[in-house]
Amino acid sequence: MSYPSEWALRRVIAFLAALGVGVATYIAVEAAGGDAPRCIAGSTGCATVAKSSYSHVAGVNIAAFGIVGYVLLLASAFFVNDLARFGGFVVALGGFGYSVFLTYIEIFKIEAICQWCVGSAVLMTILFALSATRLIVYAGAENQTTRQPGLRRATG
Amino acid sequence: MSSSEDRRKQLLQLAAAAVFLAIAVVLVLIVVNTSSSDGGDTELEGVAEVNQDLAGIPQREMVLGDPKAPVELVEFGDLQCPVCKGFSEEVLPPIIENQVKNGEVKLEFRNFTIIGEQSPPAGAAALAAGAQSRGWNYVELFYKNQGAENSGYADDAFLESIAKGAGVKNLAKWNQDRATFLAKVEATTAEAPELGFNGTPSFAIQGPKTDGLEPIGTPSSTGALEEAIEEAS
Repeated sequence: MSYPSEWALRRVIAFLAALGVGVATYIAVEAAGGDAPRCIAGSTGCATVAKSSYSHVAGVNIAAFGIVGYVLLLASAFFVNDLARFGGFVVALGGFGYSVFLTYIEIFKIEAICQWCVGSAVLMTILFALSATRLIVYAGAENQTTRQPGLRRATG
Repeated sequence: MSSSEDRRKQLLQLAAAAVFLAIAVVLVLIVVNTSSSDGGDTELEGVAEVNQDLAGIPQREMVLGDPKAPVELVEFGDLQCPVCKGFSEEVLPPIIENQVKNGEVKLEFRNFTIIGEQSPPAGAAALAAGAQSRGWNYVELFYKNQGAENSGYADDAFLESIAKGAGVKNLAKWNQDRATFLAKVEATTAEAPELGFNGTPSFAIQGPKTDGLEPIGTPSSTGALEEAIEEAS
């Protein structure tokens, strides 16, 4: 079985994490202005979720935690060592786990779906899969400072 | 075994432990949130406080204050909305105590029901209380006893307990009126987006210096509301 190069994984992780920073920043900015993110097609789901008690943890909008998480994931893509591989995996795992919890809350407690939150959850899910692949395939690999398109443990 | 392989093995063991921990944390969060109290007790809190705070202030339908007050402040809210509860308890009381009581401002509550299926009946119940000049008592008491949104607490028994606590005298009439006011709840809910609102609470203001009813969004504090009132006066 062949795996993508770590260089390719890092590029996709960086791209998706940058997208995530954009999504989380949009939600945070709208919330800071006393508004809710605008749902597509006039749905009020975004307003309902944004105004629910689950939108804040310890008085801080969860979008702010999202920004921090995505920035850390973005940073992990710029380094080629085990700390970045493992750190990126842990952050993505936390983000993915929290996204699962929030999606459950949206469906069963708030009974409203915020399209921006779903977008962020999808990004986190893909980032978790990529970070896990990066860690499983490349953990313990020598630190690389240049592009390495070749595969490691690419057979099997 | 090389040190690189050792490190790899350790990292993967740590990662597996982190995955198990994450699964456990998510499951605990879900279980805690599923079994947590959903509030909305029919043994009410704050009955005396609400009725005392509003005593002596004229009320007609959902308007609180002197009908001739030059400035009208309109709140578009959802009774199930926790942020509206926060506004009711922290931002609005000084406005009611000062500008409303001295006849400068009248406050109107309009339903903008976005939280869930129990929001429109709750809003209609408030309007039915308003028909007996107890609308603001109903709104304030509801907020005081608000449960977790969409947890199902705002059932008929809860709505009726709020009506009793708010001092609605003719409960049979209130019960009849509730159904007819649902259309009005729908109408004001449709009106809010036309003013550019997409969340609750949102405010609009009308006064001698405004061009009709002007949206002011969600003011961040009592001070910001007072500023808007001054500009409209």
